[in-house]
Amino acid sequence: MTSDALLRCRGLSAAVEEKAILHEVNLEVAQGQVHVLMGPNGAGKSTLGHVLMGDPAYEVTAGEIFFDGADITELAPDKRSRAGLFLSFQAPVEIPGVPLRSFLRAMMEGRGEKLKNKEFRRKTQELAETLDMDPAYLDRELGVGFSGGEKKKVEMLQLLLLQPKLAILDETDSGLDVDALSVVSHGMELYREACDGTLLIITHNTRILEHLNVDRVHVMVAGRVVAEGPATLIDEIDAQGFERYEAAPADAAESALR
Amino acid sequence: MMGTQAQTFERASAMPAATWRFLGANDAQIEIPAGLSIQAGVKAEGNVRAGGADALDRALADAQAAWEAAHPAPTAAEEAERAAYLAAEADATYGGTALSAYQSGADALEGARSLAKAFEHGVGNEVAAYLRDVAGDCLLVKAENGQAASAEVVVEAASQAISVAAIDVVAEQGSTVDLSIVVDGPGAQPAGIAGTTVRIFAGEGARVNVARTQTLGEGHADIDDMALFAAEGAHIGVRQTVLGASKSFTGLAGDLRGDFAHVSIDTRYLGMGDQERDFNYALRHHGRKTESVMQANGVLAGESSKTLRGTIDLVRGCKGAEGSENETVLLVDEGVHNKTVPVILCNEDDVAGNHGATIGHIRNEQLFYLASRGLSQAAAEAMFASAIVEQAALDADTSAARSAVVRLGERVAPGFAGLFEEEVG
Amino acid sequence: MANDVIITASGKRRTQVDDIDRSLYDFRYEDADAERLEAGLTPDIVREISERKDEPEWMLEHRLRSLEVFNSIAMSDWGPSIEGLDMDNIVTYVKPNTDQKSDWESVPDNIKDTFDRLGIPQAERSYLAGVGAQYDSELVYHSMQESASKMGIVYSGIEEALHGEYAELIREKFMTLIPPTDHKFAALHGAVWSGGSFVYVPRGVKLDFPLQSYFRLNAKGAGQFEHTLIIVEDDADLHFIEGCSAPKYNVANLHAGAVELFIGKRAHLRYSTIENWSKNMYNLNTKRARCDEEGEIEWISGSFGSHVGYLYPMSILAGRKARASFTGITFAGRGQNLDTGCKVVLAAPDTAASVETKGISKDGGIQTFRSSVVATPAASGSKCTVSCQSLMLDDRSRSDTIPAMDIRCKNVDIGHEATIGRIGDDKVFYLMSRGMSEEEARAMIVNGFAEPISKELPLEYAVEMNNLIKLEMEGAIG
Repeated sequence: MTSDALLRCRGLSAAVEEKAILHEVNLEVAQGQVHVLMGPNGAGKSTLGHVLMGDPAYEVTAGEIFFDGADITELAPDKRSRAGLFLSFQAPVEIPGVPLRSFLRAMMEGRGEKLKNKEFRRKTQELAETLDMDPAYLDRELGVGFSGGEKKKVEMLQLLLLQPKLAILDETDSGLDVDALSVVSHGMELYREACDGTLLIITHNTRILEHLNVDRVHVMVAGRVVAEGPATLIDEIDAQGFERYEAAPADAAESALR
Repeated sequence: MMGTQAQTFERASAMPAATWRFLGANDAQIEIPAGLSIQAGVKAEGNVRAGGADALDRALADAQAAWEAAHPAPTAAEEAERAAYLAAEADATYGGTALSAYQSGADALEGARSLAKAFEHGVGNEVAAYLRDVAGDCLLVKAENGQAASAEVVVEAASQAISVAAIDVVAEQGSTVDLSIVVDGPGAQPAGIAGTTVRIFAGEGARVNVARTQTLGEGHADIDDMALFAAEGAHIGVRQTVLGASKSFTGLAGDLRGDFAHVSIDTRYLGMGDQERDFNYALRHHGRKTESVMQANGVLAGESSKTLRGTIDLVRGCKGAEGSENETVLLVDEGVHNKTVPVILCNEDDVAGNHGATIGHIRNEQLFYLASRGLSQAAAEAMFASAIVEQAALDADTSAARSAVVRLGERVAPGFAGLFEEEVG
Repeated sequence: MANDVIITASGKRRTQVDDIDRSLYDFRYEDADAERLEAGLTPDIVREISERKDEPEWMLEHRLRSLEVFNSIAMSDWGPSIEGLDMDNIVTYVKPNTDQKSDWESVPDNIKDTFDRLGIPQAERSYLAGVGAQYDSELVYHSMQESASKMGIVYSGIEEALHGEYAELIREKFMTLIPPTDHKFAALHGAVWSGGSFVYVPRGVKLDFPLQSYFRLNAKGAGQFEHTLIIVEDDADLHFIEGCSAPKYNVANLHAGAVELFIGKRAHLRYSTIENWSKNMYNLNTKRARCDEEGEIEWISGSFGSHVGYLYPMSILAGRKARASFTGITFAGRGQNLDTGCKVVLAAPDTAASVETKGISKDGGIQTFRSSVVATPAASGSKCTVSCQSLMLDDRSRSDTIPAMDIRCKNVDIGHEATIGRIGDDKVFYLMSRGMSEEEARAMIVNGFAEPISKELPLEYAVEMNNLIKLEMEGAIG
């Protein structure tokens, strides 16, 4: 891959409570591209997303992460966010007591953006409508009583508001009905259009990828990236599943990389 | 008009069953300074009138008769059987079940079979009587059978003064009452007190909603007293928002007397600087299948302190009753002091009671989520504190309440008013 | 009488359950041979106790000071009534007619027979590293395996130890965790304490088998005031078991013991108690542990007996990363008012405490869970969780839950949850649909409820506890 990758991790290993989950992961994502990280349940895909974002629940035991030319391995998650990294959570947390709009405002102010209140209200309202979300949700407590679909829309709303350099979407498609799925797809397209955004999409199902031009696919099994290839790999996995990678991760990795 | 005499209520807002004294959490001390002028300072609008102070007492007396008819006193034989049963193990030397002072008091209260005696005030009957005395005329909000009534009461604090509103709510069978109370005052003031004492009678199937918003300035004390009675199938919902005042005392006691009665309480508060917050809740379940829900959510910053006593009392006979109590307190600064005493008292087996409390900093998964959006811990904490005020403004059900909250928000965080400019015009 | 099914007012069938079978504990011997002091409490009695024990002067002074405190402070007003306890009638000091022995054969027959029937010598042979047995006010037996004494472990009567190698250490620690000013019965204890054990586990020594003390109060109308002082030095490990019982009399007995536990850095102490005093007992016992850096105290506590109980073992986490856990069960039947729980003080950074308790009340019995969790400003990074469940077996009983949290530190996680209720009809129905009788189903559910506690007990005690519950639930006699 190119040396001017936007995100690059090298030999990245991570553990939770002394249990190793990621093993020497290498991954590069270039500016403006769409990458997909696939793998069976429990492969460590979400862990990689969280480790890239700096979740203190995980300990990086080896390797390093470069983002936008800087080593961010030791950087706190809020600083990574302000550097332009974004993680859409598979299970967004609920924050009782904090109205969604108050949270969005705090998020923007944290980046030094002083939006006029009226402008801010207009913008959040518009984005909600774009995502087919009832603007009344903006005044409700973040995540409290939201359906799974509403929670994911709130994640997309933040993606469009922040327009990060790189967005990691962790299973954003899981548990969504067809309508919500199309809204999420639409959100991803808008993000790409608005700022030539870069995507790393974590998924174990390929439906959400139908409308996207995928540049590169990474396959993760048992905490290792065992294969990497062009978009055609998606169709192969669709047809054959992950069995051949799971059976003998090392061999599979070799054959796939050949 | 005569001013106040100096007076201290040593055991105000006492919880029913006390615990270790070293914790200093059993009750609150309310001081009335000398020389406060007694102010009217109360504005009322809607279906509310002065006088008629005995309407509630009459409603309670009627309820007493109905309740007695439905709940005949135990016969002498039943009493004797029970006494013999409990005494079977005991003998003259160490008799009975060695009841604590609270336990024998509770037995005596139930034995008295008096709705009026069981109709207690959250800050204690002594303080409530004082407030009623200071308030003078009692305001009455009454909804006749099946009708609806709504009222707004604003208590305006003034410097070196005490301003109190006494309000009785009588919601007859199947009626609906909405009451909004705002206790507001300008910014920092020399000492003063503002308060309300509210008695609520919710008749069969009645619905009563009360929202009280307190936005007093520094230097003032707030006393918020409520006493609730819920007849069969009645629903009472109370929201208390405590944002201002150097000291606040919130006390609420309720009797869920009728079967299927329901009481829910939603408390939100903010403590800053050296503010002191005191809350005392006591809900007593008498009726079958009654339900109570207490929720409290607060943020403590600076060197503020807070005590919350919440008691769910499941009295023998309240078969199928459920009571729950939940508190979340976010501690933002090192100097804060939080006390929480969530009590369940129970002498009925066919019940469900539960309580939970979470005290401390922002949960790790929340903190990471907020960090992934660029918020440092300090920024996240500031957001939680201001969210309490924003939520209060969003939930304000009258323009008086909203303006009061926005004014307070502007006092503590200049620029706050701008967030609500569309709403306040 | 056993297993009667009665129909209650609500029409629900209930299994009539009887009291715990106490015949195992409820036997007694005349105390004609023993010396008794006059009932009541005066400075002269205190002097006499001290004189007989040939104590150092500082101890006599301590006793007299404590007596003054006792006379000057009021009884607390929040707990079960102690009106039935007439202090003038409690004989504070009853000395059995024997000196302390170190082999059971030398112990007088009636006392030896008592402990035989309680199973103490058998337990000693099978799984204990050492045993102390107190009969009324004095230790009558003390013995420890040679292997343990070779490791430098000291396990002896505390009065004996006051004259031994560790006298200074005892003076330094004695009643510092539980000062006589703490409450009225701590003051009483300070004035008239008698008997009890001293344990010293040297640095780095880990004892694989538990030590046990058994307290038997045989004399009618007497008080027992033993003092237990345990010092577990840095990196050492000990499991200590305490058992207590008494025959039943128709006058009040008083137990006001004190337990002080000092746990060094990285040291560990597990302190297990099964309390099964008779139902004329006022049990006003005080227990406290202090843990230094990374030290750990584990309390296992079962309260089944007594007429009135006030018992709240306290854990003071004084060193960074010190830990405490409290696992307790209280079972209150007819005529019992048991007020139990625990206290936790988080007084250093990164400490952790967890509390899990179960309460059961039946037949008009009252059980109260009372707790306090205090986090001082030094407790940054500390955590504490309290979980408390109560089970009501009928509607004549009472279960109260009175926890308090006093938090003066920002960076802490304090969680509390409590539930109360009865055995769910759905659960009983489910088990009955699988062929169990109603009482079998109810007994199984109650045993399951108590399981988290019983699994923490040594096997022999878990069996004893399960038997107590089973007897209770099945209503079986003898």
